[in-house]
This record gives sequence, C-alpha cells and structure tokens, in this order.
Amino acid sequence: MGTQDITPTRSVLLDLKKKIKLSQSGYKIMKMKRDGLIIEFFEVLEKAKKMRKGVSSDYEAAMEKITIARAVEGEIAVKSAAYALKTEPEVKLGSKNIMGMMVPKVEATSIHTKMTDKGYGVIDTSAYIEEAAMAFEKLLDTLVRAAEVETTMKKLLDEIEKTKRRVNALEFKIIPELKEAESFVRFRLEEMERENTTRLKHLKKKGEAAE
Amino acid sequence: MFRRNRSKGNYAYTVARVKAKKSLLLKEEDYDKMLMMTVPEISRYISEAGYNKEMTDLAGRMSGINLLEHATHLNMAKVFSSILLSSTGELYEMVSAYLDKWDVWNLKVILRGKSYGLDAEDIREDLVPAGRLSAESLDKLIALDTDDDILASFGKTTHVSFPPEVLATYKAGGNLGVIEDFLEKVHYERLIGSIDRSSRPSHLFYDYIREEVDMKNFETILKLKAEGVYGEQVMKYIISGGRKIDDRMLATMANAEDIGSMMSEVAQLEFGEAVKEALESNNLREAVLSIRKYGRQKARKFSRLYPLSVIPVIDYMINKEYEVRNIRAVARGTESGLDRETIKGLLVI
Repeated sequence: MGTQDITPTRSVLLDLKKKIKLSQSGYKIMKMKRDGLIIEFFEVLEKAKKMRKGVSSDYEAAMEKITIARAVEGEIAVKSAAYALKTEPEVKLGSKNIMGMMVPKVEATSIHTKMTDKGYGVIDTSAYIEEAAMAFEKLLDTLVRAAEVETTMKKLLDEIEKTKRRVNALEFKIIPELKEAESFVRFRLEEMERENTTRLKHLKKKGEAAE
Repeated sequence: MFRRNRSKGNYAYTVARVKAKKSLLLKEEDYDKMLMMTVPEISRYISEAGYNKEMTDLAGRMSGINLLEHATHLNMAKVFSSILLSSTGELYEMVSAYLDKWDVWNLKVILRGKSYGLDAEDIREDLVPAGRLSAESLDKLIALDTDDDILASFGKTTHVSFPPEVLATYKAGGNLGVIEDFLEKVHYERLIGSIDRSSRPSHLFYDYIREEVDMKNFETILKLKAEGVYGEQVMKYIISGGRKIDDRMLATMANAEDIGSMMSEVAQLEFGEAVKEALESNNLREAVLSIRKYGRQKARKFSRLYPLSVIPVIDYMINKEYEVRNIRAVARGTESGLDRETIKGLLVI
C-alpha cells in the first residue's frame, strides 16, 4: 500500500486502526494455527514412520510367503488359486477436519475374507497358499491405512506452507504497511492541525492589527 | 471313478516297468548338487535326468523357470498316463482311482481359468493331464461355454453326479470352493471304495489311503483353526473314511479353541510325533511340511513289503510327484534368492 494513495483524513486513520487491529488478531490466530498444524504434523509424522515400517515389514513377510508358496506348490497352483478368488477389496473414502482443513479418511472393507468364502476349495488348497493370501491381505490393509496417513501428512505440509506464507505476509508486509500508512496519516493530520493553528494565529494577528 | 471288469491285473509287467523308472529318479545327492546351481544349470541337469524331451518340446513357447515347471509337470503327466495305460484289471482300477485327483485338479484349473476370463490357450498351458482324462478330453471341456456344461460333461465322463444342493450353493454365491471340496471328498470316497481288501498288499494300500485322509483332515482342521473357524463349520470340510481320526476325535479337534488344546488328540495320531514340534511353535507351514514328510516316509516303508502288488506302483507315483515338487522348489527357491538351508528345508525327501 503506497502512502501516496492515502487520503490523510481522520476517518481513514480510524479505518486504518481498525485494519491494523484486525490484521494483528488475524496474525495471532494464523500463528496459532501454524503452530497447531506443526504439532499435528509431527504426530502424523510419527504415525507415518510407523506405517512405513509396517508396510515394509508386511511386504517382506508377504513376499517371503508367496515365494515359498510358489516354490512348494508351484506357480500354476498359486495362479490358479488367485483366479478363483471371488471377493474384491473395497475402499470407502470419507473426510475429517483438522483445524479447518479437510483430510481424507480411507476405510478398507472386505479385505480379509475367510478361507471358506474365498472362492477356492478348503480341502485341497495348501496352507502355503492360504498363508500367502493372508499375508497379502494384511499388507493391503496396512497399505490402505498408510495411504490415509501419508495423504494427511502431505495435506498438512501444504497447509502449513500456506499458513506460514500468510503469517509472514501479515507479519512482514501487511501489518508494517498498515502501520506505516497509519503513522503517515497521523503525521499528516498533526501537520495539518499545526498548519491550521498557525493559520488561525495569523488571522488573529491580522484581525487585531486591523482593529 | 471308472468301472472295468475286475481281473487280477498285470502286476509283474507294471511293477517291472515302475521299478526301472524308479531307478532313474533323482536321489538326495542330486538335490544337494542342484542346490549349488543356477536355474539354467538346473534345467540342463534335469534335462540329462530324463526331462529332455519335454524341455525341448516346450522350449519354443517358454523359458527359464516356467519352462522347467511346465516340463516337469508334462513329464509327470506322461509317465502317469503310460503307467495307467499299461495296467489292467484291478490294478488299473486302483491306479486310475488314485490318479483321479489329477482330473479333479484339471477341472479346477479349467473352472477357475474360465471364471477369471482366461483364454483357452492360457488354461491349456496349466493343465496336467496325468489322470484318466486325456489332453483331448480336457480340450473338449475347455471348449464348452458355461460352467454348467463343463460340470455336466465332466460328470458324464467320470460318472460323478453333483448333488443339487452343491450346485445350488455354487450358483447362489459363485463360490467354486463348494464344487472343489465336493470333488475332493468324492475322490477319496471312490478311491477307498475301489480297493479290494482281500489281499494283504491291497489292505496296506487301503490303510495308507485312509491315513492320507487323516492327514488331509488334520491339515484342513489346522488351516481353518488358523482362520478362527470352529465346530460344525469345520466338519463340513471333513472327508469320511479316515483311519485313526474317528468322528469323536474330529469333533474334539474341530471344537478346540486353539491348537494347544487339541495336543492330547494329536498325541494319539501316528504322525503326532512328527508334527508336535511345529504345532507347539504354532507354525502351520512347518506342520504341513512335517505331515508330508511323514507321508513319504510311510510310503517308502511299506513299498518294499510286497513286490508284486499295487504298492510299488503307488510308491513310484508318490516318489515321482515329490521329485517334480522338489525340482520346482529348488529352482523357484534359487530364482527367488532363498538361502540354501531354507530351500533344503522345503524339500520332501
């Protein structure tokens, strides 16, 4: 805001004072929001770290089990069992609110199916294949939960960045400019008042001289 | 599943053939050598050990580990078919009843492949025509359009009639498991029914199959227990005709809340000692492997008792099947980077 665009009037000064007050309270709220988001982010970060560990350990376990199942029962048997599967995992997408920010809530349904409902026979399907299937179901469940946490973390990061920019803009640009404008108007008004006083004094002197 | 006039059977001829074939099977030291090889080296090694023709036949379409797996399956299918074709009389009946499991396996592959939408060529590739149904008969099944037609045709060829309630459950939920479990039960019931127990060797074979039923039932109980399925639900998947595990013991094991609470029943089983350690550490895979190893030991024990009977024939088929499984385990394990000790632990020798 350039000071040259401002008309130095009392109403403008009052308006500027109001704006400064609003900006300062906005700045305080934004700063609190930023700090809150950062605290929230660190909590989610911890969760995300755990989830990543969980994903990689579940992935390793699932891969080990499928490798052994393929070795013991053969690729044909493993593939054939996979073809028989009837159930498909479903993912429900919702949202939740963290400090005014909407983050996704992912819920997996029907990921784990009992062996009796999978679509292949119980009697002849080997325990190796079933264990591998269970391990992959567990991995999928962890992945879905990890997806929720990771997305929340990314959204939080974006929001923190946005809030930080707003806080900085208020702190280093908007509020100082408003204050500068306020002091310009105040000085200008004082100046005008002094001019007025001087002018009045002159007029008074002229009046007295004429008398 | 099939009826022929009961005559004694050509035991001498068939046994002589399988004994000659058995001498060509891989030994423990062969597996030790293979454990030190790469997949191409294993392929070359088994080509020199009798799988050359199948490896060459399939080499144009496949390569690497898939070539090895399909070639060993094809070789096994050819060997079993030739044994079946060369046997006659009651021997034929017993061998064909034993090999019916491959017809069931192939039907499962066809139904699963069709339900997934695979084309005929992909389904054909995964078949193992080691049973009574030839590759041509299986081709006819693949060519049929609907599951109903496939089941009807299979039922007609193998004289299996699917109960209406089984078909209704399958149609209601589309769960092929109902059909598969029904066929497994029928296979064992018919196999047990096909054995004439008048002679001592046939009686031994009869006992062996009943013990195999016990092992299957025990494995089913363990699998379902790991899923948290108990009681009556488990009993639906039990094959009747077991040797040691009677209805009372089955019910007790099926109702047990965990494996620990059925250990007293396990102790009464012949293979109880073999699986005890794995069960105590709650390791399902290890328990299954121990049961398989026990089964093979058992077959080996009685194989030498009656040289002119069905026993050496069945023993050879069991050994051949395990050879194929072991080759695959070594090759797949090597390809996946499993360590040698782990692969060796997976072998049933």
